[in-house]
Amino acid sequence: MKISRNWLEQFVDLTGISDQDIASRLTMLGIEIESFENFSEKYKGFVVGSVLEAEKHPKADKLRLCKVDIGGEIKSIICGAPNVAVGQRVPVGLIGALVPHDQHDPEGKPFKLTRAKIRGVESEGMICSAYELDLGDDKDGIMVFEAAAPLGKSLAEYLELNDTILEVSLTPNRADCLSHLGIAREISSAFSKKLAIKKQSLSESGDSITGIAKVEVIAPDLCPRYSARVIKGIKVGTSPQWLKNAVEKVGMRSINNVVDATNYVMLELGQPLHAFDLSLIKGKKIIVRRPLNSETKFTTLDGKERTIGPDMLMICDKEKIVAIAGVMGGMNSEINSETADVLIESANFSPSSIRKTSKTLGLSTEASYRFERGVDPNLTLAALDRVTQIITETAGGKIANGVIDAAAKKFAPQKIELRVEQVNRLLGTRLAAGEIKRQLDSIEIRCEKKSETVLTCSVPTFRGDIEREVDLIEEVARVYGYEKIEDSLQTKLAFDTRFNETDATDELKDFLAGAGFTEIVTNSLQLTNVASFHTDNFVTIANPISEDMAAMRTSLLPGALQTIKLNLSHGLKNMKLFEIGRKYLLSDKSQTVGNFSERNTISLSITGSADPLSYDRKESEFDIFDLKSEIERLLRHLKLDNWDFISYDNDKEYKQSLKLFVNGIEVGIAGRVSEMALENFSIEQSVYFAEIDLSEIASTKKKINRYQPLPKFPFASIDLAFIVNLDTPVGSLMKSLKSIAGNLFRDISVFDIYFGEGIPEGKKSVAFSVVLGSDERTLNDGDIARFIDNAESKLGKEFSAVLRKQKS
Amino acid sequence: MLGEIEKLKAEATASLNQIRTSDDAENFRLKYLSRKGSLAQLFEKLKDVPKDEKPAIGKLLNELRNALESEFESVRKKVEAEKSRQSSKVDLSIPGRRRYVGRKHPLTQTADEIKRIFISIGFGIADGPEIEDDYHNFEALNFPPDHPARDMQDTFFVKSETGKYVLRTHTSPVQIRVMENNKPPVRVIIPGRVYRNEAVSARSYCLFHQVEGLYVDKNVSLAELKGTISFFAKEFFGSDVKLRFRPSYFPFTEPSAEVDVSCFICGGKGCRICKYSGWLEVLGCGMVDPNVYKFVGYDENEVSGYAFGMGIERLALLRYGIDDIRLFFENDLRFLNQF
Ligand SMILES: [Zn+2]
Repeated sequence: MKISRNWLEQFVDLTGISDQDIASRLTMLGIEIESFENFSEKYKGFVVGSVLEAEKHPKADKLRLCKVDIGGEIKSIICGAPNVAVGQRVPVGLIGALVPHDQHDPEGKPFKLTRAKIRGVESEGMICSAYELDLGDDKDGIMVFEAAAPLGKSLAEYLELNDTILEVSLTPNRADCLSHLGIAREISSAFSKKLAIKKQSLSESGDSITGIAKVEVIAPDLCPRYSARVIKGIKVGTSPQWLKNAVEKVGMRSINNVVDATNYVMLELGQPLHAFDLSLIKGKKIIVRRPLNSETKFTTLDGKERTIGPDMLMICDKEKIVAIAGVMGGMNSEINSETADVLIESANFSPSSIRKTSKTLGLSTEASYRFERGVDPNLTLAALDRVTQIITETAGGKIANGVIDAAAKKFAPQKIELRVEQVNRLLGTRLAAGEIKRQLDSIEIRCEKKSETVLTCSVPTFRGDIEREVDLIEEVARVYGYEKIEDSLQTKLAFDTRFNETDATDELKDFLAGAGFTEIVTNSLQLTNVASFHTDNFVTIANPISEDMAAMRTSLLPGALQTIKLNLSHGLKNMKLFEIGRKYLLSDKSQTVGNFSERNTISLSITGSADPLSYDRKESEFDIFDLKSEIERLLRHLKLDNWDFISYDNDKEYKQSLKLFVNGIEVGIAGRVSEMALENFSIEQSVYFAEIDLSEIASTKKKINRYQPLPKFPFASIDLAFIVNLDTPVGSLMKSLKSIAGNLFRDISVFDIYFGEGIPEGKKSVAFSVVLGSDERTLNDGDIARFIDNAESKLGKEFSAVLRKQKS
Repeated sequence: MLGEIEKLKAEATASLNQIRTSDDAENFRLKYLSRKGSLAQLFEKLKDVPKDEKPAIGKLLNELRNALESEFESVRKKVEAEKSRQSSKVDLSIPGRRRYVGRKHPLTQTADEIKRIFISIGFGIADGPEIEDDYHNFEALNFPPDHPARDMQDTFFVKSETGKYVLRTHTSPVQIRVMENNKPPVRVIIPGRVYRNEAVSARSYCLFHQVEGLYVDKNVSLAELKGTISFFAKEFFGSDVKLRFRPSYFPFTEPSAEVDVSCFICGGKGCRICKYSGWLEVLGCGMVDPNVYKFVGYDENEVSGYAFGMGIERLALLRYGIDDIRLFFENDLRFLNQF
């Protein structure tokens, strides 16, 4: 919202207070000033000039050589605008002035005027367009002022722009500050200045309003108050310069002298107003009601046909709808050049009703913005008188005698009790009752002592946001100053142990970084096709920013591939990446929220060389066993021992695909990413990827391991090699050996796999190292021989394995 | 015969002293000690020696063989040791084999630091869902339906036929879940991912991460909130940072404040980063609104508390001097490897 300093001066004396002071103090009162701009500064070096000559440039058809009188001095200026003509009064920028926008720059950056030669002829300044001056969008030609514009006058002064405009960012609770009066009220409190509100004195000279127009409110729940006046015999036309300037410099468009007046008063006092052409109101009666079943369409004054709903509040005449209450008027009753008699509406509407209507219609206006935040119900009459006065001053007419004021009730200040002790308890202060009273008094909240420790506070109706004791406490803190409340830090050093059940995430991140993986963080919003690639049970966004973020991720794979793609494009080929994040699925069971299942998931991606930049080792590409090795390392780190990889068919996402089971529960998948999946990301090298459900494996991690006594007897390590068929799974042989060893089993590893010379066609040799041990005794030769015999015969039976050699 | 023995002894002893390399040693062995060497030849001649001289000459020969063999063995060992000493001289200027170096993401590093600070003053850590119901994300946080405060956060809605669900716009709904499930006092921070329906640019992304804080107990005051936030800011930004608490508005706190820290880039003089104000906005906070207590079944006359929320990306941008939030989510390793 834009606020004019000059306008504020009508309510509060700002002499001696700098723009910066205003900005800082308001900001510290919770009225954030984002920026401010001083127009006298901005338009330094721009003056009103008169075009004396405009001859064609000898070397360029489109350019004209102009002589411009800037008040006693004649400047030679080259101008390319098609509309430049002798006799015009125009804005002239002189050498050294900073032109707000460069018309030839795509971003419209500002530039400084310098003495320049254009095709051999020197130019001593520039005649500007509205766009160049940041006074409008028009780039097609130069601005032309009225003929009476005084020569040589500074532009800021001529346009009444010798002002500072403050850009205010308001929080939604401070509806009372959506006007110059509201901001002036805060300033008067901040600087202890008196707030001066002029009383209007209208000269009502027409017939009594009761004979001219009537108002009936059928829906008082949505319209607590409806006030109106009538002015007859006005003349609609362009606004006088002061009015035009006033609304334009705070960012509104000037329409005509009646509409501008209503906008002016809204900007000044905060009350939205609407003017109807009375001759277009059938039966001269305003009826405030919900629409009839038959009324479903209405054309607003922006020319758009709107579909209206049964709960929207309408302003109607005897036959039809004439406005959508608090949002926008209709074409059918709009002020036009023929309008002579006007009815001015100054009403108060239910905030939630206006908001619903505005949201449903997708139509937000200055009026709806204010109404949905809450407007002072006691403002209607003052605003009505103010706008009536301005209209009669600028458009003439006679004011009908009296005012219509249809109000559901009296709107009295709310009384709220404030306990001094509660103020100090919540703020951590030691304020006395008198101090609190003084703070609240400065923002027009009057307090009486109910007792020594309780104040009864009377909250003015413009502060609709203050409803409770705690709201008053906030006002006390705000006016007293947060900076005066002394810091305290007594937080006892007692950790809240109910909340220390963090999962293994933090610890795993450290482990994986230590294992050479770089952590990535990727978007959890995806293209629908990408989400559906992994499962049909994906979550969809109803209002996505764009199609490529219309679904929640169902796998961390796409984010990893996107990352690999980006880094490959920078010439990086070797990567080890991990991510810990959620994936989101629709579940058939009910979850914490709806049926949305959020699984904390860990992803591992490896691609490129396993041993990059090694000087004496062959560069070997990562393969599936590197991936398995990383997963096994992770599982061992988590002290999980009961795991199993089961290969399964998946030609879609993975080529070599494994499911990971821990304690019999499926917790993840691992594999070589399929060409189809890689193609989507134009990746031409192998990528190995695993995804593990962290919520499944982390839950088993919490236990603290109890100490096991160290073995009393030495272990025996036995190396065994078997000749088996090439397609016999090594994993199955290992499982068999483990079960053969029974309770003597301690560990097993594979130390050699070989086929080719010396081994029969179609066979391979697999060598294992088995560690056996006992808690009761040292194993003897008999134990070991028995194990080898059993292994030989059982593996022989199960896998037709032949024991190859043995050493111990 | 005796003369031959003496000669061999002298000759062998001399050539033993000449042995420098393992080749020399092998030649010596072949010449004197092998099966067809000079010593063996002398033993061969023993059979021609008269019977009565045999024992004495045999003894001499045996003594010579033992002496030569033992001396040769010690010379050979010396030569071998020298050889291995020579061969073990490696070029230590060759660099080590290069291995993968892993790293945590700068957002994780920043979150870790925030967590460390709050855990050090007794905060626990809580967690909650990212897909939230309207009740927890808005209503119970005192955002009534059809209230303009809902415009403060551009919201993603989730398609559903069974209810009104959103991608949480802040971590604050976890405040509600914590209080619903735990009696006061509670003191937690809640890190997590949140979403805003805003166009992606250098300044905003469709998602980001927050750390929420909540402390509810008897007699928790605004002064206590200020003290806690000041402690955090000094730990995080350095002890000479200045703080500014400005009144603000959040539906779930009353009173509410925005907290600015003095710009550590320009030292408060004004620069591009602080938009020439000398201050950097870092977090929002306030005293828990009594309406919130009603929703979670706490007695507002018994307890009071504060809540705060900060954006991890915002703090990381400031901490590392990064000017584009999208860098966090692109995962360019040239970027990630800088932290
Ligand atoms: Zn700065």
